[in-house]
Amino acid sequence: MQPVPATDLYNLAVYSLLPVTIFVFVAGMFYRISRYVSTWKRPRASSPKRGKGFGGAVVGLIMTFLHPIIFSLKKERSMFTTGLLAMHVLGVIPLLFLLAHHVVWWAYFFPPYAALKPLAIPTSSVSSYLSLSAPVHPASSMSFDFVNTVWGPLTAVLNGDVLAVIATVAVGYKVLERIPKISGGRRYIRIGDFVALLLLFAIIVSGYVATHHMLGPDMSDYRTALGFHILTAEILVMILPFTKFFHFVFGYWYGKLHEWYDLVLRRGV
Amino acid sequence: MAAETVEIKRAAGAALRRISSAELHFLENCVGCALCESVCPYTEVDPGYGPVSKAELLRRIYRKEMTISGMILGPLVHAWMPGAGDLGLVREVAYRCTNCWHCYTVCAFGINSGTLVNMLRTVVDGVGMTPAVLAEMRKLELEGAGGKASATLAEVLNRAAKEIGKDLPFDKKGANVLYVPWPVEAALDPDSVVATIKILDALGEDWSIPKDPLGLRVPVGSLVGDVKAAEEAMKSFNDRVSDLSPKIVLLSDGGYPYSSLRFELAEAVGSTPSYRVVHVSEYLAEKLREGKLKLRSGSERVTWHDPCKLGRSAGVFDEPREVLKAATSGFRELPHNRKDSYCVGGGGGMGWLSDELRKVAEEKLGVKSSSDGESEFLSKADSDLKKAMKRKMEDVKKSEAEIIVTACPMCVKTLVMGSQIHGPEIKVEHISTFVAERLG
Ligand code: SF4
Ligand code: SF4
Repeated sequence: MQPVPATDLYNLAVYSLLPVTIFVFVAGMFYRISRYVSTWKRPRASSPKRGKGFGGAVVGLIMTFLHPIIFSLKKERSMFTTGLLAMHVLGVIPLLFLLAHHVVWWAYFFPPYAALKPLAIPTSSVSSYLSLSAPVHPASSMSFDFVNTVWGPLTAVLNGDVLAVIATVAVGYKVLERIPKISGGRRYIRIGDFVALLLLFAIIVSGYVATHHMLGPDMSDYRTALGFHILTAEILVMILPFTKFFHFVFGYWYGKLHEWYDLVLRRGV
Repeated sequence: MAAETVEIKRAAGAALRRISSAELHFLENCVGCALCESVCPYTEVDPGYGPVSKAELLRRIYRKEMTISGMILGPLVHAWMPGAGDLGLVREVAYRCTNCWHCYTVCAFGINSGTLVNMLRTVVDGVGMTPAVLAEMRKLELEGAGGKASATLAEVLNRAAKEIGKDLPFDKKGANVLYVPWPVEAALDPDSVVATIKILDALGEDWSIPKDPLGLRVPVGSLVGDVKAAEEAMKSFNDRVSDLSPKIVLLSDGGYPYSSLRFELAEAVGSTPSYRVVHVSEYLAEKLREGKLKLRSGSERVTWHDPCKLGRSAGVFDEPREVLKAATSGFRELPHNRKDSYCVGGGGGMGWLSDELRKVAEEKLGVKSSSDGESEFLSKADSDLKKAMKRKMEDVKKSEAEIIVTACPMCVKTLVMGSQIHGPEIKVEHISTFVAERLG
C-alpha cells in the first residue's frame, strides 16, 4: 500500500479550498443580490388590482410553478424528459441532496440535515440489493441506516448508479442537442452553456469513478478521484453566483414569485 | 471612437439605465432552455426570431455595457455592442415581436422576453431607426391626434349619431361612463365604435364621449420603446379624463391601450386614477348579470379570440365568454385559448408595418408611412407578418366556427387579413358589433 501524500488533490479540495469556495460563493451571492436590491423601484402609485382573492392567489401560486411543467409535458416532450425529468428531477437534485454519501457530507457541516438519513439513496445497486436480500438487522446501526431507507425495494432503481447514468445521459444530450443549433440562427447558444454542462458532466462522472474505485485499488487513487470530484463541485459552487447555475438558488424562485405577483395578484391572469 | 459608435452606446445606455429589478432578472436569469420558442408567433417564420434569440441581442449589449465580465472578456462571454453595420439586424429582430407575453407565461423562470424586445426597440429608437410609420404615429399622438386622424374619428361618430338618431353627449361632466374611442379604431374597425355607441344608447346609460380624441391610441410611445412619450400621452389622457370626472372610462379597444391604462397609468401619472378603466366586454358581462342587457339568442357557431393584451396581460377571460354564450348556443373554444391563446401576429405595432395598414395609416390618419431606405425592411416585415398569421388561422379552422369574435381593432384587422391569405373564410367581428346586432 502506498503512503498517502499530505498535499494530494483530496487535501487541496477538502481542506484548503473549502473556505475559499464558501467565501467566493457568499461574496458572489451578496454581489448579485445587491444588484437586485439596488434596481428595485418603489411604485409611485398603484393601479387597482384584478386579483381573485385569497383562494385565487394560492391556486395562482401553485399554477405559476406548474404551468411551464404541464406545458412542456404537453408540447415539448423531449425537453420535459431530458431537461426537467432526467437532468433535474431524477438526476442532479436527488443525487445532490439525497445520495447517502452526500447526506453524510451535508450533515457534517449542518447537523440537522441528518434528519434526512431515512430518505438517503444507496450509492449502488449492490447496496440496494442488500435491502432486498438481507432482511436481517445488520450488526452496526450505521450500516442499518443505509440499507434500511424508506425507499425499500425501489432502491433497485433508485440508487446512485442509476441516477448518475440518467444524469450523465441527460447532460450529454443537452450538450449534443445544442451543437446543430449553433448554425441555425439561434443566437442564444453560448460558450458558457457548454462550460456549465461539461463541468456538471465532470462532477457526475468523477463521482461515479470515485464511488466505484475505478482509478485503481490504492487509497491514493481513490483520494485522487474523490478529490477531483470535490474540486469540480467546488468550482461549480464558486462560479454559481456568476453563471446560469444561479437559477438554482435565486433566479428560478425570484422569477416565479415575481410572475405570480405581476400576473396573478396584479392582473388577475 | 467613431460618432456612430458613440451614438449607439448612448442609445444602449439610455435603454438599460432604466432597468428595474424585474428587468434585471429578465436579462440575467435565462438558462437558454428555449421552451419559449414554441409559443412565439414569429419563431416559425425564422428560428432567429424566437423570443430567446431576439432577447439575446439585448443581453449581449447589456453584458458589454453593464457587466464586469462582459467589459473584460467581450465575445468570450457573448458581450457585444452593435456597430453601424449591425443596426439593420437589430431593427429587424426588434420588430418581430407583438409583445403578446406568451413567452412570459410558459417560461419556467418567469422571463418576459417581450419586455426585453421592447427595450431593444428603445435602442433602435435611440439611433433614429424606428420605422417611420410608428415614429409618425407617436409624434401625431403627442401633438393631439388632430388633422386627418381626428376627422376620421369625427366621421365615424357622425355615422353613429345618425344611426341612433340623436346628438352624441360630448364632453358631459360627471357622467357614469366616458366612452373613449381612438382614431385608430375609427380607421381600422369603425363598426365597433358605432356599435358601442348603439349599446350605450340602448341600455339608457348615463354616458359621455370626448369631442376631440384623447390620443391616437394611447400610448403609441409604448410600441417603439419610448417610455417618455408613453408617459406623456398617458398624463395628457389622465388630465383630460379627470376634467370630465367620469366613474368609468370605457374602452372598446382591448389591445395595448387597455392593459396600459388599466395597469400602467397610475405609475406614469404618479397617482391612482379616480375612475375605473373598463373594457366593453367587462361592461357587457356586468350588464348581463344585472339583467339590463337582453340578447336575442341564436345557434351560430361562434368562437372567441383572446386579444393578448386583454387576456394574457389583463386577465379578462371569462367576461367575453359569458356574453357570447348568452347570445349563441353554438359557442366553442379555439384549440388554443385563454392563457394559451395564439397571437395573430399583428400586435405591438407589427400590423402597421404591413403594406395594407401603412396605406390605411396614410389615408385615414395622415401619417407618412415610410421613409427613405426602409423599403427592404418593410417588405420583409410584410411577408413575415403574413407567414406568422398562419398558425392562428389553422387554429381558427379547427374550431369550425362561422364567426370569430374579438375585441381589439388590430386583432380584427389581422384576422381578416389572415383569413384572406390562409383561410378559412370566416366572419370577424368585434364583440360590440356582435352584441349590437343581437340586442333584444
Ligand atoms: S423559456 Fe425562459 S429560460 Fe427558457 S429560453 Fe425562454 S426565456 Fe430563457
Ligand atoms: S412577447 Fe410574444 S411575440 Fe414577443 S417574443 Fe414573446 S412570444 Fe414572441
